[in-house]
Amino acid sequence: MLKQCPVIVKREILYMWRDRGLRNILIIGSLLGLFLFMGIYSQPRIDHISTAIVDLDKSGASRKVIAELKNTQDLEVVCYPDNFEQLEELIKRGQVTVGVVIPENYAKNIALQRQTKVAVFIDGANIIYATNAASAVLRVTRTLGAEVGVKTLIARGIQPDQAKEAYQSIDIREEAWFNPTLNYAYFLVLPLVLNIWQQCCMLASCMNIIGESGVRSWLQIKVSGVSTFKLFFYKSIVHVGIFMLIILPVYFLAFVVFKLPLNCGFITFLLFTLVFAISLHSVGTLISSFSRNAVDASRFGMVIALPSFVISGFTWPLAAMPQWFQPVAWVLPQTWFFQGINYLFFKNPGWEFMSCYFLTLGIMSIICYSLAALFTHGLKARFR
Amino acid sequence: MEPVIIVRNLLQKTGRHTLFNGISFDVLPGESFGVFGLRGAGKTALLHILAGVDRFKSGQVEILGYNITKSEKFKRDLGIVTQEKSLFLDMTAGENLDFIAALKKASRVNVYSVIERYELKDFLSEPVTALAMGAFQRLSLACAMLNRPKLLIADEIIKDFDLYSRNLILKELRQFQAEGGTCVYGFSSIEFCEQMSQVGWLENGQLHIYEPKEALVEWDRQVKFYSEQSDGHHA
Amino acid sequence: MKQILNIAYYEVVQILKDRILFLIIFFVPLLYTLLLGMIYASSILQHVPLGIVDLDNSVESRNVVSAFENTNNFNVIPEIDTYAGLEKGMKNGTVRAGVVIPDDYSQKLSQHRLTQILIVYDGSNLIYGFNTRRYFQQVLNIFSADHTAAYLGGLGMSKQEITNVMDTVSVNMQVWYNPTYNYNTFIFPGLVILILHQIGLLGIGLTITREKERNSWIQYICAAVPQWKIFMGKALPYFIVNFFNYSLLLWVVARFVNVKVEGSLALILLLGLLFNIIITSLGFVISLYSSNSLQVVRYLMLLSIPLFFISGFTWPGTQMPALLYWLSRLLPYTWMAEGFRWVTVKDLGYNYLNITIIMLSIIAAVTLFFALTFSKRRNPPVGEGLVVNSRNTYPSRF
Repeated sequence: MLKQCPVIVKREILYMWRDRGLRNILIIGSLLGLFLFMGIYSQPRIDHISTAIVDLDKSGASRKVIAELKNTQDLEVVCYPDNFEQLEELIKRGQVTVGVVIPENYAKNIALQRQTKVAVFIDGANIIYATNAASAVLRVTRTLGAEVGVKTLIARGIQPDQAKEAYQSIDIREEAWFNPTLNYAYFLVLPLVLNIWQQCCMLASCMNIIGESGVRSWLQIKVSGVSTFKLFFYKSIVHVGIFMLIILPVYFLAFVVFKLPLNCGFITFLLFTLVFAISLHSVGTLISSFSRNAVDASRFGMVIALPSFVISGFTWPLAAMPQWFQPVAWVLPQTWFFQGINYLFFKNPGWEFMSCYFLTLGIMSIICYSLAALFTHGLKARFR
Repeated sequence: MEPVIIVRNLLQKTGRHTLFNGISFDVLPGESFGVFGLRGAGKTALLHILAGVDRFKSGQVEILGYNITKSEKFKRDLGIVTQEKSLFLDMTAGENLDFIAALKKASRVNVYSVIERYELKDFLSEPVTALAMGAFQRLSLACAMLNRPKLLIADEIIKDFDLYSRNLILKELRQFQAEGGTCVYGFSSIEFCEQMSQVGWLENGQLHIYEPKEALVEWDRQVKFYSEQSDGHHA
Repeated sequence: MKQILNIAYYEVVQILKDRILFLIIFFVPLLYTLLLGMIYASSILQHVPLGIVDLDNSVESRNVVSAFENTNNFNVIPEIDTYAGLEKGMKNGTVRAGVVIPDDYSQKLSQHRLTQILIVYDGSNLIYGFNTRRYFQQVLNIFSADHTAAYLGGLGMSKQEITNVMDTVSVNMQVWYNPTYNYNTFIFPGLVILILHQIGLLGIGLTITREKERNSWIQYICAAVPQWKIFMGKALPYFIVNFFNYSLLLWVVARFVNVKVEGSLALILLLGLLFNIIITSLGFVISLYSSNSLQVVRYLMLLSIPLFFISGFTWPGTQMPALLYWLSRLLPYTWMAEGFRWVTVKDLGYNYLNITIIMLSIIAAVTLFFALTFSKRRNPPVGEGLVVNSRNTYPSRF
């Protein structure tokens, strides 16, 4: 049994090496992805959102508002258009995200305790920006309201400390757990790279059976009397081994060079990746066991692998998807994987919680491999 | 008489391998020029160059008066039967005729005439993959003849298929030449030599021109030579 | 013209015969759109699971709790009532945000001393993170206002006076284009264009590799049919189907998926037309220069995600290194996705889109040029080295 092992392993490695297209994809796909996404998210925090202020008042009070806006890290005042039309144009062209209009007679109205309105416009076309801009504006609104309110109260003859107290209700401390700086790169880069990696691996594993049974040399194998189980067992070991091998440099770059913070132990993370690689490979094997040819197998594989990231609920949360759809999403190993790495990467919730993820992926592999064996057996029978 | 094909110093390389090392020859109108060679000698490669399918490294190829690196016009008067099946395998015989006629801008009349001449009526609605080799080859030739070409390039047109088809094809080819058509054949069994007016023997990147009889003599000489050599070993 | 129609007719025949190809170009775009529509069905992130740890348990602290209970944005999970429980809940995902009210809250409040409420949210999913942060600010603004009003009431001011004081300055915040922060409106235009882009390329991208694999490409090469006719004929069915898909998806998205699709129809059609020309000619060129279908499928599919993210559709290009930004500007997807958003979401007119239209036209001209003027000569088949799946064959059941 063991004697044939190195021969099959060697042949499989040669086969994968000589499939030049696949080789390039496997070797550089994930690495290229890592550099690309690190580049895209090289400024991973949404602060300094470009803001334009139309100051129609140009008084001390209006400059206070501007100072208040400048004070927040989230907004960055980039220009001062003369009127609303210019501001509108800037927002339309996407050159600024936030526009603020301070009305004429702003200072005068405040002094006279007449109502006055500051208008804020936010470009909602990109809601990642809009959401953050809105948070910043809401905070400025509160401080601004308090400042003016205290002044108004004092002008009305209320004691200064009472006036302050009226507005100083509670101090709020805000903490973002697990990702305190709200770093978008931490959130998205590694999963996106892993997404590319899983697609590459899917392409490779889709060749597992059809790559063998779809070429004439399959006859040689059949005649040689080698057990199909043994053949595909060793082939699969090579595949999974290679999948792990190509993700190692990516992990090295991600955690050592780019210093992405990993909250769980590296070994656990690697182990989880391995379990997923096996389950992914089992799905690919299953697909390749019933496909007519390599192109169809790759197409099927991609039909699953492409939307799996979105389905996994990594970005748009699973909880926000329709009730009935959620169990469907959990059928894909990718859902378990992407949810799992989110927990491991940020939260490290402990073995008790994660064991369920490991277990499910394991069971999925067993099911898919068994089904693939069934189909392949049928295939063998057909050509007998 | 202006030659139909003029080849001068044709050089072709595939990868690091030099396939043709400066080939020159002419083919006159009405001739049937046979490209002979054993497997791997480059018959198909040469015919594909003449048909304007493959690029070549250097040299001059003129067909029907056109330099084929500069013009595509010679293809209007060209018919080709390839060694590997090149009809549309997912279509029926009739669809193939119809479609290739459209590609060649051949008229309906021509389509009907080749159906008749090659006796394809019964196969028209059959998928080409289901055709027997003989019928398939008749169809291939029919498709090549759709545009009433002046030059026919046929690669291994006679294979081991039924004698009826073989006879029909040979008859039509004779007819084609009688009407003034020029043929270039690729073949690998020496007995077809006699049907040719000239034989180009491809070997080691060179093309030697023989009269058919000379070619036969040369073949016999080589066969003898090698058998004597191996006998010598035994002794 | 007859020749073109003939080539087109037989291309259709081939599409119909290849059942999987047929499914891919007719149903997969719709299928993906419906799938994504389902995933993003709720489209506005609400009911963020929130744990409130009320260590004070007084009337005042319950005011805070009810402020959070009274909004749709949060869904208070009652099981979480200790700090440790909150920590655990945040770790295992039961809650995505938390509020901690200290045990001396009401006491300090009555003594007019500063007291601190802690709010936490989950930064591990920033879609939750960012939205929760905004919702917190909203609740706090309301809560603060209530507090101030109550305090001033305690000073003996009348309701009218209180409103007058508090409304001296009001900030009127308007979110343009997508006032409800609808995730569909944000992401869907880009995804639909991506689907059309990828499936469009995949469909026509196999048109010539298929012929090469079956060797029938020789028939095209040897016939005296000019290149442009081959392209026109082969591209015509795909062009029509793509345009059909473009309109169909737009309609589905606007009608069933709750995506805002506005803007001038003429502009939408113009963009679609240019985009479609690019896709069909680019796919044709890809097919011309690829050795087999397997290669096309592999590379095309892998490109989808990088394409989407580099385009700056979610994370603006101005935040990227210049090299990536300029690279993205060479891609038709970037221009189309941006232009499409500008028309459908922002409802902008011609004068805002002139650069987009010019760029798309240039790209279309370039791809068309390559599609129309390809050489009708193959490179001679190279003496087969030790390579797998790289020639015009690939494993297939025999």
